[in-house]
Amino acid sequence: MVNGPLISVVDDDESVRESLPDLLKEFGFSARAFSSAEEFLTSRYLSETKCLILDVAMPGLSGPDLQQELKRRQQDIPIVFITAHHDEHVRPRLIEQGAVECLFKPFSDSDLLEALNSALRQS
Amino acid sequence: MSTSLKEQAKRASSEQALTSSECELKLTVDTIPAMAWSARPDGSGEFFNQHYLDYVGLSLEQVRDWGWTAALHPDDRDDLVLTWQRIRTSEQLGEGEVRLRRHDGEYRWFLFRASPVRDESGRLVKWYGINIDITERKLALECLQSNQELLDLAQKSAGAMAFDWYIQQEINSWSPEQEALFGLAPGTFDGTYKTWKKMMYAPDWPTVVDAIRHAHDTGKVTAEYRVVWPDGSLHWLSTNGRMFFDEAGEPLRMVGFTSDVTRRKNVEEELRRSEAFLTQAQHLSRTGSFSWRVAADEITWSEQLYRIYELEPDLPVTLELIRTRVHPEDVTLYEKMLTQARNGSDDFEWQYRLLMPDHSIKYLHAVARATRDQSGQLEYIAAVQDVTSRRLSQEALDKARLELAHVARVMSLGALTASIAHEVNQPLSGIITNANTCRRMLEADPPNVDGARETVRRTIRDGHRAADVITRLRALFSKKDAAAELVDLNDATLEVIALSRCELEGSGVIPQMELAEDLPLVTGDRVQLQQVILNLLRNASDAMNGVQDRPRQVTIRTDRDESDQVRLSVKDAGTGFEPENLNKLFEAFYTTKSEGMGIGLSVSRSIIENHRGRLWATPNDGGGTTFSFSIPGVEGSVAGAESRDGIAVKDQKPTARSV
Repeated sequence: MVNGPLISVVDDDESVRESLPDLLKEFGFSARAFSSAEEFLTSRYLSETKCLILDVAMPGLSGPDLQQELKRRQQDIPIVFITAHHDEHVRPRLIEQGAVECLFKPFSDSDLLEALNSALRQS
Repeated sequence: MSTSLKEQAKRASSEQALTSSECELKLTVDTIPAMAWSARPDGSGEFFNQHYLDYVGLSLEQVRDWGWTAALHPDDRDDLVLTWQRIRTSEQLGEGEVRLRRHDGEYRWFLFRASPVRDESGRLVKWYGINIDITERKLALECLQSNQELLDLAQKSAGAMAFDWYIQQEINSWSPEQEALFGLAPGTFDGTYKTWKKMMYAPDWPTVVDAIRHAHDTGKVTAEYRVVWPDGSLHWLSTNGRMFFDEAGEPLRMVGFTSDVTRRKNVEEELRRSEAFLTQAQHLSRTGSFSWRVAADEITWSEQLYRIYELEPDLPVTLELIRTRVHPEDVTLYEKMLTQARNGSDDFEWQYRLLMPDHSIKYLHAVARATRDQSGQLEYIAAVQDVTSRRLSQEALDKARLELAHVARVMSLGALTASIAHEVNQPLSGIITNANTCRRMLEADPPNVDGARETVRRTIRDGHRAADVITRLRALFSKKDAAAELVDLNDATLEVIALSRCELEGSGVIPQMELAEDLPLVTGDRVQLQQVILNLLRNASDAMNGVQDRPRQVTIRTDRDESDQVRLSVKDAGTGFEPENLNKLFEAFYTTKSEGMGIGLSVSRSIIENHRGRLWATPNDGGGTTFSFSIPGVEGSVAGAESRDGIAVKDQKPTARSV
């Protein structure tokens, strides 16, 4: 399964950037990792991305900020948020803003897969 | 010769007639109740009536001519002679006074009147005279005179002037002293009613009119009024007397005393003003005052104090009455204060609460000074201030501060937790993701061993990362880089007490200090050590929360222990702990309190251990617990024994002052 749909991972944390793309590839997706929202926005993979796995809290542009920016640009990329902050208020708000899902780190692979499938069904 | 007989008979009968009328006259003259006499022009006595003779007790022969002078009083003789001579020379009616000796030797005063008798040619031939006894009158006059002198003296001493004023008479003369009352130079008062009225101070005229009207009904005059002196100054006069009215009801005559009472009036006014000022000041500052004569339990309250206690202002104040208002929790303190006050004679200060009928609470602060009255009896003069609003706002402030601190603690713990969570969840997430990846890679056909190896490498790295996070957080938590300075534990303790005074009082806790005088200094972080002391104090206070039957006393003691370490103990009178739970207390998050976190003791122990000391708890014999810590002291140093906030620090003796 080479060249499955491109899932872009945006997270300022190195472990996530290192580990998540490999798991995604095992799932059969293509994966790229970016260390910041800005990096993602200026990359050539933006338009190719079929689904975005996005960290919430990041220095500079946060996850929700990126979500707003993509809306503004009318880039309709489904987003699965991931976050280390276990705040119950965050998830409903993000979903209300159009996110597919918000997973709390550490998350299980099955939860991740389910969220990704759900996201890809949308596009 | 026949006519001589008729003539003889005629002469005889006219001689007879003359003799009988002479007799009648003589009888008359001898009977009138006055001394009568006649004298020749040369002044010698010719005739003296029987009264005269009876009085002087001499015979006619003895007084005739100049013998009558023998009865004159030796002191009056010369004067009399001169007066008699003057009258004779004037040949007019004249009179004088002289003392004559009575037959029994007593002298009496007489007024003598001499009347000249002339013949047809106008030549003075005889003097007729009478003497009237004026002894009583003379005595009365003397009496009157000495009375007058006494009166004058009395007037002068009292500063009052007697007056006798015939109001309707156009002209009245006033004495210089009376004129002086009105600031007039002697002799300048024209004596008229009109002028008098003009001197009255116009605003006081109605008072005077009232007094006159009142006098009409009662005859008594009593008035205080101001008069305007010629220099424009105002003076207060007080008049007391009687008024007499004529048939038409018009004032006729006024008799009485007037005195200048300006000084008294000024003093009265000053007193009235300063009393009003004091009352107002008391009202504004919500301070009442009272005096207490201890032996007789005589208590006097100021108006404001009645208001503070919400009692009727005329109620007689007793200790029992006061007790009915004292808050039930402070009654024991109240009794204690009374006993102390009765026995000692020191000034004292006392803070207590009142429980009002509507169940509201008032906070009072009393300061009393011991004095001795004129008979040497102990008397307290005190001021009591209603500090409720100050206390309530202080309490609100303290409560807000506590809450803030609590919230800050909670928040920081929350933040800490979030921080921990965040820091740890990242590597954890990595570990789990990598592990999942590893499994899939190994399950692939063929297994992706290189890939799996890489995930394992990452897993190990993330595991270490997580461990580092924990270590870093613990280091942050226990602050290994604490400040190191010389700390006076006594001083630090007193500061903590001072800062938590309100909090303690609010919980009804009475701190008792037993601070050693020769306590060595310690090395450490002053703030951290104070946090430990505060923690122990708060725990002690919380432990006594439900205590009602005994004083909520917490004793803080510093001393050197057996191994010469500096030791601080906080002893409470609470319910205590089960022995098996004593050590558990120091475990983080252990708490037997319904709310709050037991993190205090755990952190406290950490801090003490960082200071190379130890913190432990022992149960008290009489109930409650004592928490103590000991840390090494600095050799050769000694803590100072200063006083802070009026709490005197003495040897090792407890200084029981109500804080």
